Amino acid sequence: MHELSLAQALIDQVKLLLKEHNANKVLRISVEIGPFSGIVIDSFEFGYYALIKEEPSFIDSKLEIITPPALYQCVFCGRKFKEDELTKDKRCPFCKDSFLTPVGDGDILLKEVEME
Amino acid sequence: MCEWCGCGQPEEHHGHSHDHNHSKIIELNKSILEENNKIALKNKEHIEALGAVGINFISSPGSGKTTLLQETIKRLKPRTKIGVIEGDIETQRDAQRIREQKVPVVQLTTGGACHLDARLVHKGIHQLEHELDDNNLNFLFIENVGNLVCPASFYLGEHKRVVLVSVPEGSDKPAKYPKAFIDADLFIISKIDLLDYFDFSIDEAKKEALKLNPKLDIICLSSVTGKGMDEWINYLLNLIKKE
Repeated sequence: MHELSLAQALIDQVKLLLKEHNANKVLRISVEIGPFSGIVIDSFEFGYYALIKEEPSFIDSKLEIITPPALYQCVFCGRKFKEDELTKDKRCPFCKDSFLTPVGDGDILLKEVEME
Repeated sequence: MCEWCGCGQPEEHHGHSHDHNHSKIIELNKSILEENNKIALKNKEHIEALGAVGINFISSPGSGKTTLLQETIKRLKPRTKIGVIEGDIETQRDAQRIREQKVPVVQLTTGGACHLDARLVHKGIHQLEHELDDNNLNFLFIENVGNLVCPASFYLGEHKRVVLVSVPEGSDKPAKYPKAFIDADLFIISKIDLLDYFDFSIDEAKKEALKLNPKLDIICLSSVTGKGMDEWINYLLNLIKKE
């Protein structure tokens, strides 16, 4: 359940932004969770909404989660493609090799905050 | 003040459609783990100031992290200086096992948290300094909380990340827990003395792990029989040669 720690880190980061921009209410937070981040989105949302019960300036906020598609690279031909482009038996759509490696995106990014 | 939304701007009113066009949108693209990562980089500097290489051990509970550490210390202690940070949810048991080998050790108990983070390790390094006679080390071993999921998200400032899977756990672990392998430097397959008793395919484990991370080094070993230990010890000694 590291999702709870991450939700807390998100709230802490947004609190600093509120101060920085002289705002007192968060309306919407947009977060991008990479497909290889190992973060369970349901748990993250659950953690967020549980934690903001204690945070008056977040109480009406909406958490928006963006999940970009998983990208893979073929170790054999070097080309990159999305998960839904794989062949049925999970091979490279170009050279049909099966040695595919995930590309980047194990991160969790704070994309946008709407506040007033 | 606006009685509808408390915006404090009654003069430029907005028809109360509640589309709140006076709200402010801030674009960031900033990692939520940034604060952790900043502290982790400080940890790295701190570890280097002690003259050490930091190693972060990640695995499920019971993969043999502490036993491997004990066997590693036995072999390295005569020629190198070692410090250990033990991460557990509760108890001093692991630290006690290391302390018996007369090596400086700090036990961090997370009190429920499933992983170590950079802030905890920062505290741990300071505590460890009190146990050192001079501020000088070759290796700082950090044994993470037994968990193959959560610790993978938190960079602690280590130079090398080691992920362990033991033979009884099964060779499908890399495929099932990809994040732990994507960010690791070395994959240790432990308890290979049990290969005859379990349906574990070293080839499958290696292949799946390399798919996730083609740069991964892999060592198979047994802390009990000592098989593979020389390769592991050489791996470690090479790290301090380069530093």
